[in-house]
Amino acid sequence: MPPPPDPKGVFLNIPYDEEFSNLYVAYIVGLCQLGMVPHLASEIPGGDRRLTRIFKLIQGCRYSIHDLSRVEVSVAPTAVPRFNMPLELGMTITWQRLHPSRHDWFVWESVPYRIQRSASDLNGTDPYIHDGTVEGVLRELRNAFSRDSAPTVPQMFDVYRFVDGNLDAVLSRNGTSNPFDRSVFMELCRLSNNLVGPLRHNKSGVKPS
Amino acid sequence: MRKRIHITAPWPTPEEVKKRYPVSKASEKAIQILVEEFKAQLSRQTEASQNSFEPEKRRKRASAA
Repeated sequence: MPPPPDPKGVFLNIPYDEEFSNLYVAYIVGLCQLGMVPHLASEIPGGDRRLTRIFKLIQGCRYSIHDLSRVEVSVAPTAVPRFNMPLELGMTITWQRLHPSRHDWFVWESVPYRIQRSASDLNGTDPYIHDGTVEGVLRELRNAFSRDSAPTVPQMFDVYRFVDGNLDAVLSRNGTSNPFDRSVFMELCRLSNNLVGPLRHNKSGVKPS
Repeated sequence: MRKRIHITAPWPTPEEVKKRYPVSKASEKAIQILVEEFKAQLSRQTEASQNSFEPEKRRKRASAA
């Protein structure tokens, strides 16, 4: 049996594509602003088989978010549907069924009721609908994870704007154009976390130190 | 009915964050600068919103007198 999961750990099962990068940043910022610890498959260094690493990550997190909003077939040259997200959701459901007290999973979509057509076996599961927008992701994160003294959605959006406005600099510092790279993910999480303190101090009227 | 979780786990400490998300020295320095920039931005916003309430406060004080 693996060690108990991180009670703040959230495994993010999201599409790694450029059009999704703003929502990806929103997930990171939003989770950090709620005092959660986001995890991404790309953060784990090589060694084991990819599926084994992903499964370990799921086991290490108390929660997971499975964003099934990208159901469209990917663009040319080889147009194929994406099966990674449903596959990882299936692994998570199995893990949760076997150990209900160790994991809770959430399904996210951008379009209401579409999941009933794309994954009808999930009927009875109410997905969080983010409308494909940053505000939607932040709003729904706040709906899914409540916390005393959590920031408001506009406050979270301010942090998002700040982090997203610095994304190019983060990419260039890490010598990549891929926002899903391990080093970029780490830096985005670190920055988002370090902005929690100033926002909380400001909210409570205490001057930031 | 959607699941809603109330989180009671303590907020991550700076040490926890540092350990959990290791970054290069250059990135660490850049992040420090950005945090200061963000704090300054917040202070400016707070000041601006306080100033925008000033005429209202003056009006109230005047009517009370």
